[in-house]
Amino acid sequence: MTAIAYYPGCSLHGTSAEFDASFRATAAALGLDLVEIPGWECCGNTAAHSINRLLGVALPVNELVKVEKDLGLDAVAVPCAACFSRFKTGAHEVAGDPQVADDVRAVVGRAYNGGVTVQNLVDVYHDAVGLEQLAAKATRPFHGLRVACYYGCLLTRPPKVTLAEDPEYPTHMDAVAKAVGCEPVEWNYKTDCCGASLALTEQGIVDDLTGRIVADARACGAEAIVVACPLCQVNLDGRQTEIARKRPDWQSVPVVFLSQLVGRAIGLDDKTLGLKKHLVDVMRVMA
Amino acid sequence: MTTVSATLERLVKAGSGVNANKCYQCKRCTAGCPVAGYAGMHPAQIMRAVQLGQLDMILDDRFIWLCTGCQTCTTRCPQEIDVAAVMDELKILARRKGRVHPGAPSAAMLKLNYDSFVRWGRMWEVELIARDALKRPSGVTEWLALGPKMLLKGKINPTLKRGDTLAMERMVKTAESITKARANRAGDGGAA
Repeated sequence: MTAIAYYPGCSLHGTSAEFDASFRATAAALGLDLVEIPGWECCGNTAAHSINRLLGVALPVNELVKVEKDLGLDAVAVPCAACFSRFKTGAHEVAGDPQVADDVRAVVGRAYNGGVTVQNLVDVYHDAVGLEQLAAKATRPFHGLRVACYYGCLLTRPPKVTLAEDPEYPTHMDAVAKAVGCEPVEWNYKTDCCGASLALTEQGIVDDLTGRIVADARACGAEAIVVACPLCQVNLDGRQTEIARKRPDWQSVPVVFLSQLVGRAIGLDDKTLGLKKHLVDVMRVMA
Repeated sequence: MTTVSATLERLVKAGSGVNANKCYQCKRCTAGCPVAGYAGMHPAQIMRAVQLGQLDMILDDRFIWLCTGCQTCTTRCPQEIDVAAVMDELKILARRKGRVHPGAPSAAMLKLNYDSFVRWGRMWEVELIARDALKRPSGVTEWLALGPKMLLKGKINPTLKRGDTLAMERMVKTAESITKARANRAGDGGAA
């Protein structure tokens, strides 16, 4: 077993418990020993960096310091795309600006030496586990299920911070889906924004944005959309119920987490993966 | 009355490190922006207004509060300007001046979110929805459309697990005092 630190983040303990459960279960089955950061704090999400920039950098760096100094580990898995973005940004800013590093050190109380690799959900399966190993463990692979891999904003942008392979048309999630027997489709909205937290206050905008994304996935032949972000999942899945009320001809597309897709393929059961929590039924593609 | 601030570009740079004067109005930021078209201004216009010191024009529009921070503008800018960081800095300036746009509920939501993780060490999603609904009647109707369905499916976990609240309190205090000192030094003590 390879030990790797784990930062679940607030959403995985709130509206996306099935993301947490399916990630933990797949990691264990794939030979990763997840060590949850003791007493972890919120990474500050969108609110911190738009209210207090320094706090928005210091909060994720504080978690990186715990991984480096308290756990003595050199990698942390951060499956929530928004948390992942804050962790990468924190590490990037501290490494690139001595003034920021000093300020952050004053806030956190300890210095971060840059010794921790931050991995998002796709990185964990693609790099930490590896595609060959993943394919070998897929005892119940999909038989060519056509999926649209949706990366959203923060897995890849900004590329200076994330070091993503191709920020406009990434392919690593597609490769993971393929390794477990899916057939990823080529489509247009891989990295377009779903509207994120505007879902709480500007539903009209979010219905437009999510509607376009789902409609393109369907038009390009996808039977399901695969995501790696709790907010993307709740928006793409949840808003379809509302869109369908306004548009009687709407054909819903199920939205699953990559961890649920992988979990199903390696033989984990539906209950562990939380497959009944979706508003658009996923059993028609996951059964 | 419209106030023209010659120091706006300098304030933005002091807070975010971004030089807005590098923008030459190619509008790639606007072309890729998911929320351009939903407010009176769009990202390239915001950048031009920063250069020209037109803070009132920016704060009287809803645009900065619709910015989701998707980073498309920052990723595509040929001048490598971190446009999204400029939007964040403008939100920070707006709050410091008490000029949060009254027609932008997302601004209040960001503050509820901030207060929640400061209070508990972690952001408590259910608390945001409840506190928003108390202040905004339409928030209740919106929540009723999806919330009960999500609760029934077990999609929403209403309980709170606290983080290390003492550590959070210490970090927030230090960060806020450093930030205040820096803002004063940049010549913006908070006066409107």
